[in-house]
Order: sequence, then structure tokens, then C-alpha cells
Amino acid sequence: MYRPSPLRLAKRRALSTLFAFLAFAGLPARAQAPPQDIVFRNATVMTASHGVVEHGSVWVHAGKIAAVGVAVNAPAGTAIVDATGLWLTPGIIDPHSHSALDNDVNEATSPVTPSMMMIDAFDNRDKALYQALAGGVTTELLLHGSANMIGGQAVVIKNKFGLDRDSMLFPNAPRSIKFASGENPKRVYGSRDQLPSTRMGNFEVMRQSFEDAKSYMAGWDAYNAKVAKGDKDATPPKRDLKLEALADVLRGKLYVQIHCYRADELLTEEAIAHEYGYKIRAFHHALEMYKVAGKIAPEQTAIATFADWWGYKDEAWDAIPWNAVLSMRQGVKVALKSDSNDHIRRLNQEAGKMVHYGGATEDEALRMVTLNPAWIIGVDERTGSIDVGKDADLVLWNHDPLSTYARAQKVYIDGDLYFDASLPGLGTTHFSGVMHGDSNDGAADEEDGQ
Amino acid sequence: MKKLLIALLLVAAPACLTAADAAKKTIAITGGRLLTVSHGIIENGVLVIADGKIAAVGQAGKVAIPAGAEIVDARGLTVYPGLIDPETNFGLIEIESDQNSTDLAEPSDEIMPHMHVYDAFHAETELIPVARLNGVTNAVVAPASDDTIAGQDIFIQLAGADRDAMILGRDVALAMNYGADQRRRGGRGKSAFPSTRMGLVSQLRQTFLDVQDYIAHRDAAAKKDDKADPKKDEKKDAAPPKRDLKMEALIPYLKGERPVVIGVYEGYDIETVMALAQEFHLKVVLDHVTHSQEILDKIAAYKVPVIVGSIYDAPRANERFDAVYTLPAELAKRGVKIAISSADAGGPVSSHSSRNLPYAAGFAVAYGLPYDEALKAITQNVADMFGFGDKLGSLDVGKTANVVLANGDPLDVRTDVKQVYIEGVAVPMVSRQTKLRDEYSK
Repeated sequence: MYRPSPLRLAKRRALSTLFAFLAFAGLPARAQAPPQDIVFRNATVMTASHGVVEHGSVWVHAGKIAAVGVAVNAPAGTAIVDATGLWLTPGIIDPHSHSALDNDVNEATSPVTPSMMMIDAFDNRDKALYQALAGGVTTELLLHGSANMIGGQAVVIKNKFGLDRDSMLFPNAPRSIKFASGENPKRVYGSRDQLPSTRMGNFEVMRQSFEDAKSYMAGWDAYNAKVAKGDKDATPPKRDLKLEALADVLRGKLYVQIHCYRADELLTEEAIAHEYGYKIRAFHHALEMYKVAGKIAPEQTAIATFADWWGYKDEAWDAIPWNAVLSMRQGVKVALKSDSNDHIRRLNQEAGKMVHYGGATEDEALRMVTLNPAWIIGVDERTGSIDVGKDADLVLWNHDPLSTYARAQKVYIDGDLYFDASLPGLGTTHFSGVMHGDSNDGAADEEDGQ
Repeated sequence: MKKLLIALLLVAAPACLTAADAAKKTIAITGGRLLTVSHGIIENGVLVIADGKIAAVGQAGKVAIPAGAEIVDARGLTVYPGLIDPETNFGLIEIESDQNSTDLAEPSDEIMPHMHVYDAFHAETELIPVARLNGVTNAVVAPASDDTIAGQDIFIQLAGADRDAMILGRDVALAMNYGADQRRRGGRGKSAFPSTRMGLVSQLRQTFLDVQDYIAHRDAAAKKDDKADPKKDEKKDAAPPKRDLKMEALIPYLKGERPVVIGVYEGYDIETVMALAQEFHLKVVLDHVTHSQEILDKIAAYKVPVIVGSIYDAPRANERFDAVYTLPAELAKRGVKIAISSADAGGPVSSHSSRNLPYAAGFAVAYGLPYDEALKAITQNVADMFGFGDKLGSLDVGKTANVVLANGDPLDVRTDVKQVYIEGVAVPMVSRQTKLRDEYSK
């Protein structure tokens, strides 16, 4: 059975929408033109994958990183950006954001809503995207909220603020789905006298959902087998978007991103994943991972955690700011995430805190907001570090990016300049018109469980 | 056994230091980089603590180290006065989602000046040791901002034998708020007064007039009782007013004796509430002012101190990304005395993030605030605003020895605080969080 993926659909829509928009708005089609090649000269290049190159150069060719080193062999005449006294890092990547969704974060009308597509709510003119861009954020995973045990499917964006919606989608990024556990689902449905109102209820809702998905898959497998044998009278089962999405989880076609706090629940989630045969890509929040990191590390499930948030609810009471580094030392891949339109603007500082809390090296700390979140999203082969062949998603900083004092000076995505702090006004290069989003201030996922 | 006992004491009373006050030693902190706040930086400095106070400050070789002093080698470390957070909810909140552990505000009425934070302050809160570990030694505790007049603040020290030792000042300021958030009675399906800004201001003005009337009646009655007053017969009808705690609470503020901290965000709201404050001669400290970029000169002209921020408040749509980041610098440039608080700073619950106070100040430096001003904004200036300027806020002889030792720049997120002294006592660098860390690091 052919079902176009949301990204394919999006791509199909992209061209027509883009042309229509450009024709209507009368804007130059700058996004379409390949960006100018650039050589960054004499920067402190923090690669995130292979250490720091002092007085380093980076050649960007056709939107990709073409060379990195003390010297690079760029053709004569390539535009030069003198980065003397500046730091160059990969673009910051946020693996847990609810920005630009106009508060359509939770379809909290059922604890199982896997066919909700976050792309349907994505508002590309939301000011949160601009403010994150000014903080060096080039890629975001926009997730469903945590009201439901099984929430909706995420959208991955490149923060090309000013372009039309579909031009901001990360091309061919893997599909992710958001699960949740613990206090939020049980509070949301328990307060309505519905299942689940306990953690027992939470997990049983999940198991039943996967049992239903297995039956659904069996129905389709039987049908496909008949068709394969040439049975022209075979009738297909009724398509069910919810069960299709769950079947894709069981088939390993969706990255599973689970909101989960307590150590016991981290273990239960892994056990259920084993029971039904899917992998968990990452636990989000995971504030008690430090208690069970040794057990989770072999599962190769990463975490996307806060640097130092704690105490906002019972399951955040044992949160400690050493969680990230303690978990990392036991072999867990660790990313820091914002879950907040505020913190997304300074994830570099959140990484800097890891030098303080647990003594991460600057290299390790930087990876927590670049390469590791890229892995969680499944785009680490394409972005997240300064390596030859990768997308030229780059940030120039005026100060060590892990300090309190760093300001993003220029932000490049696919080799094109999207933000330049030295410009008057907003500092944007592709945006004009009106931003949205003043009604969404401060909307963190943690407040969104309701 | 002894170790166990100490451990149990720490578990039982993490905020209070029962044994601490007993041992006020003479200590000499030597070789460090002293950020005095009041008189610059001293490289290779010596700081002597005696009897809980700063006894000497100066360069090595120029300061006599008392015989028998405990020497603390601070080479490679930065030494600075304890940080003072001008707005927290310490002791009024534990777990945000747990209503039983919160006493943030009394929302039954907008005018609640008789709510005293000291009646709710839970000294043993786990939040205090967490903030203390990052160098916060003093704080203002204020009620939440639900009401136009939410209650009266306390000024605390983040260690002490018990609640009374930790509260350095009761009713040090009146917590006022003005703006859209206080119009809560006009929500969907509600129609009680006041539901608009007109209602809020009218209610405040009437309240202040009532207090003036109350004072007049009280004074008149007091004169009547005074037998020396020859006109006493003319004042027959001046019966002493029934004691009204709400009215009594506002008297010192209407007499301009204590500061009124007004939390307000928008420029036009600031103009409204300042007109009211000037009408009644209130001694104002402005708080927040994060969406007032168009009236910064006017704010400077009010000649009132400002607790500016949160620096992390989001700009409005179509405003430049740094419209709020630059506010501390813009106000300081105009000669305004500023403080920076942890309120709304860096987390879903503000007081849990009080430990991030120095980073908010550092971020203001990134956006143009001179470093000295930033450090003052979380030390001396706060002490000045709340009446503790002669006791706290700088490394000066005679001040309380609230001193922090860190391995670098206190405003940088990468810096680790090594030791905190409060009233000259080395505070155990322990919190509920370090205990969990240590338990699971074995």
C-alpha cells in the first residue's frame, strides 16, 4: 500500500506554494538561488566532532562544508569572511521544541493520537523562530505535547526564517513520534474521570494500542499476501490513520521520542519497547536518568534533558544539574533541549553550564547542543558538526559560545546567511512583513500537559 | 556514628545551620582576586573575617593577618560578596504543582497589604541550599503578583540557626503590581469589580485615600486623649477608629518610610501607576519594566531605582531580538540605579532558578552593561534598595562576612563556586541535589 510520507507530500506542495507566495508577495526568489561560496578565515573553529582548530578556516561550497583546517584550498575569488577574534560552531540544534505551533501543541482529547501531524500546526512566521535564530538555532524538532501517552508526529525544520513554510522543512528528515508518560497524561485524563488516571493506566493504554496495531498489521499482511498470490477478489481492510501510525512504530519506521522523568518509568518504557519490538530513540526530560544510566546505556537510547530545571512538579523533584554529565559518563548520548521559547534562545549557555556541573569538556558540552541532538532527530549525517560534506549550518560568535557573554553574530543555514546582528532592524536577511506569536509567550511543554 | 549524626542534621535542616553560629572563627582568605564592588579589584588580596564580619581587606603584605587565624588559600580563586536576589519566593513554594506546599499569594482580594511573608516563610525549604551553592547569600522574599497590593516582603540571609535568624528584616517593602494580569475578575463568565485597569486604579486610589483618612482619624483621636490639648472638647466626635490591620499595614508606605516595589511591564502602565505613586508620595522601586523601551528617558526622570527584568522576557513580534537583553544597559546608561533579579529567570519556576542570578547579570554584560554595574546590580544596589546597604553588598570592613570563593568569573555559566561564607561561617557545600548526585555517583 502506498501512502506518501508527510515530507513527500510537503515537498510536492512546496514548489507550487513557494511560487504562488513569491508571485503574490513580489519578493525576490533569493531562497531558490544557490548561496554564494564563502571562506571563513582565522576563526576559532569548534567542530563538535574533532576538536578545535585555532586560527582555522572553513570553505563553504554550494551550501555544504567543503574543507576545514588551518588552511583550505578554496578557489581564488571566493568571498572571504574575516573571523579574526570570532568563534565558529555548527548551528545549534534543539531536539525538543514546541515553537511556532500557535499553542496547537496537544490534541488532548484522547490519550492515543499518533496520526496528529505537527506540520499541520506549524506557523513559519512565529516570532519564536526568529528569536531562536538570533540565538544560533538552525534546526528544531517540533514535537507534540505530553498530554497523551502516544502523541502526534513531529516536524523537523531548518530555521530559515523568512522563507515560506514548506521551504523551512528539513528535507527527508526521519519521522519522529512523541510518546509521554507519568504525571501529565494521568492528570489530563484522570481529571476527567477517564482512563488513564494512574501510571498503571498509562502503560496499559499503550499496550492495548500496540495490541490493536498488531491486529491491524496482521489484517494488512493477510490482504497483501492474497494480492501477491494474484487474488483479485481480496478486499483490503479499512484504512485507519491511528493504527497505521502505530503499525509504523512497530515496523521501526518512526523514531520514538518519549517524555519520561522517573527512573522506574524509564525502565518500564524500555521493557515495553522490548515487548513490542521497537527502539526508543530518546527519552526527553529524563531527569532521573542518572539513577539508571548504566542500565539504559546498552539500549542506545539517548536523552534530551534540561541543564538545570527542577522542582516544578513531583517527578522533577529529584532533578539534579549533574544529570547530563553523570549519564554521559556512563555511556548515554546526551543532548540538551529547550522545551521553551525562552531557553531556545541561549542553548549555548545551557551547554556551558555542563562545564560547571560535572566538568564536561567544552567539546562534550558543545556536542550536547549540536551533534547529539542531530543524532536524536536522525540528521547527524547531514548537520551538527563542522565536517566536510555536511550542510553548512554555521554560527559565528563574538565570544566563546559556552560562556555567558557569547552573542551570535551571523547564522548560516545551508551556506546561506539568515541572520546578521550587525544589520539594522531585525538582523534578518530573508524576512519581511509581520511576525506572529505574541499570544504564545512562555509556553513551555511542561505547562502544556493540561 | 558522628558522621551519621552530621548527615542526619544536614538532612533535617538543610537551610538552617544549627551548629554554624557557634563557631565564628577568625579567617584570612589569602591570594585571591577580590572583586570588592565598592573599590575595584584587588589582585593577590587578603580578606580577614572576624566575629562574622569583614575585619580587613587589602593587598597581600598590606593587611595584617591576625595570629591564630585560619588561613584559606584562595590562589586562583575569585572572591566576591555574597549575591543578593531582589525578588524570590523562597519558603513560599516547594514543588510548584503541589498546592499544599505553596503560599504564594492570597487572591481573595486585590488589596492585601496585611499579608506578611514572614508568616509563611518556610526556612527549611530545599530551594535555599540549592541557590546558596551558586553564591546567593541574601534575598528578598515577595508574594506572587496576583494582587495589586500582594503583601509585605522579608529580607533574608540564606543560612541561620532558624527562621528568626534567617529573616534579617520583616515588612521591608510593599509588593505592588499593576497591569493586565491583575484584572482577573473580568475573566470569562466573571463580572466582579475590578475587571479593568480603570477599576484597579480607582480601587488603589480609594484605598490610599482611606488610609489617609484612617491616619487623620487616628491622629485626631490621639489628640483627644491628650489632656493637654485645650481644644479637646471640640473634638468630641473623634472616636478612635476600630483597628483595621489592612489600613495599619499601609501607613508606613503612605508616609514614604519604606519602599513600595511596583511590578509593571508596559510603558503606558508605568506612566499610569507612577502618576498614582507620585500623587501619594510613595517611595517607589520599579520592577520588571521589560516592555517600556519607548519611555526609558521618562523612567530615568522618575529618579527611582529599578529591578530590571527578567532580561529573558521575550520581545514582542517584530521587535529586535535584543530589545529586552539591552534594557539593563540602557537604563544604567541613563543613570538609573538598577538591580537584577532571578524572577522569571530561566525555568518554569523562578525561585528554583535563583542559582542562575549571576548568569542573568552576565547576560546583561553581553548586551552592553558595564561589568561593574552588573555585579553591583546583584549585590550593593540590592542592599541599598532594601535598607541593608551599610551591612551587605561589598567587601568592606565592618560589613557582614557574606563572601563567595569561585574558580573564575562569577557571572560566567562555566564557573564553579567552591565555598560560601555566611556571617563568616563556611557553609557546607551540600544540598538535596548534591546528596542525590553523590549517592548515585558511588
